[in-house]
Amino acid sequence: MANIKRFTTIQRLSHFVLILTFMLLSVTGLAWMYIETGWGQGLANLFGGYIAVLEVHRITGLILLAGFVLHIGYMLYNINWQGLPRSILGPDSLVFQRKDWRDFVQHLGWIVGLSKEPRFERWSWWEKFDYWAVWWGLLIVGVTGLMLYNPVLSSDYMPGWLLNIAVWVHRIEALLAMAHIFTIHFFVEHFRPRCFPFSATMFEGSKDIEHLRQEHPAWVERMEKEGRLSDILVPAAPVPLRILHFVTGYALIALGVFLLVYAIINVTYLTLAF
Amino acid sequence: MHLRRGSRYLLTLLTCLAVLLPAVVIAIDEEHPYEAASSGYFRDQDTVPGGYNIYRQDEKARLWGGPVSGDIKRVSFQADAHLGVTGYETRSCVSCHEEQRYSLHTSRGQTSCVQCHRGQPIAGLYHYYSSMNPIRRHAYICAKCHEGASASFATYVVHEPRPLKRDTAESFPLFYYAVWFMVILAVGVFAVFLPYVTLWGVRELIEMFGKDGGRNG
Repeated sequence: MANIKRFTTIQRLSHFVLILTFMLLSVTGLAWMYIETGWGQGLANLFGGYIAVLEVHRITGLILLAGFVLHIGYMLYNINWQGLPRSILGPDSLVFQRKDWRDFVQHLGWIVGLSKEPRFERWSWWEKFDYWAVWWGLLIVGVTGLMLYNPVLSSDYMPGWLLNIAVWVHRIEALLAMAHIFTIHFFVEHFRPRCFPFSATMFEGSKDIEHLRQEHPAWVERMEKEGRLSDILVPAAPVPLRILHFVTGYALIALGVFLLVYAIINVTYLTLAF
Repeated sequence: MHLRRGSRYLLTLLTCLAVLLPAVVIAIDEEHPYEAASSGYFRDQDTVPGGYNIYRQDEKARLWGGPVSGDIKRVSFQADAHLGVTGYETRSCVSCHEEQRYSLHTSRGQTSCVQCHRGQPIAGLYHYYSSMNPIRRHAYICAKCHEGASASFATYVVHEPRPLKRDTAESFPLFYYAVWFMVILAVGVFAVFLPYVTLWGVRELIEMFGKDGGRNG
């Protein structure tokens, strides 16, 4: 079966680095947040205790921020500066447009049975949301994380009481990001009936054409009309690679769900005062 | 000089900047709110009674929504803050200071009360010679573990108020509003998406097993 190419190698690699750093930050961050509990200490011991786990958290955070900076460079490099603003308002762009809002409303209507399914272009509204959510999340945890990286140093440039705020903002945004990825992102990309049991698009870089005709019909149609469909057709990944994607993907999903479930179970043992 | 007009303007601008910038930097330095409080010397100069206005930091913090101390108790100025407390010798700190039981220092750093509130008798926070006095707290308390701690660093609120409690809007406004903002953001995301994706899943199930075979709802 023929596949349509959806992501370049750089994009897939970026996403994979994002997965690895995000997961490592989740494990080390939760270990520190739950250090009062046996579960948190167990997680921390994997890295050699709580001092080491914090160090791993800090360094991984820096790696993720470096990746973010590289991504911004990549994005600036790929913008068609001559064609602005039209070049970033086309159907291939991740920038939110009026159509996305209409799509969202129509999608909601379709879900409750009031309207026809919206015909998505290359990126549906939730794919754009997922992309920009990383920006918003990274800016918040990144800035507060840098503030907390070395509190003695950062309090030379700001009052120390700002760190009280930074801790809470960092914590809540991180919990929001983890909970969102481990429930909503996993569900929408892998567990909803059309994608179940696993969608490897972001690993393989391509998806079979039948699925895309259903999920992104306007895009496939545009490609056909412009005669560019054959340019983006690629063969599906060989079976061993697909098995590898599946196993890796499910290991990461299992890790996420494990963290989520144990974080919820253990939350009553924390002495956090709201 | 044979410079083009543009270059000449640029040169003038750079000269002006070179002259003005250091002045600005120095001005910022002088404005630094914590410099005045950070010598950390004991007995030499900044411990002279009345020599330092402890409320000055408070005013600065109030302006930016930082922590402001409420009424400072009289005992906070005493050499022995617990003078006359009945049964003091046999009681634990948190049997009276219940609100101060938990902080990141105790729950994660496993610090005990007396590692910071040290020495018997424990002096009131604002007693001139107290090691907890804001004029030297950073040097005498914080720096024991946080090497190089400054007076600014010491304004971190160890016993922070509960961020979501109404009172915190007065005692530490920025803390209160920032945390509430984040909570509303987080709860809002899930309030929208959890029902949304659940219904979405149901819709696709109906599509799979429905009689129309799944094309176009």
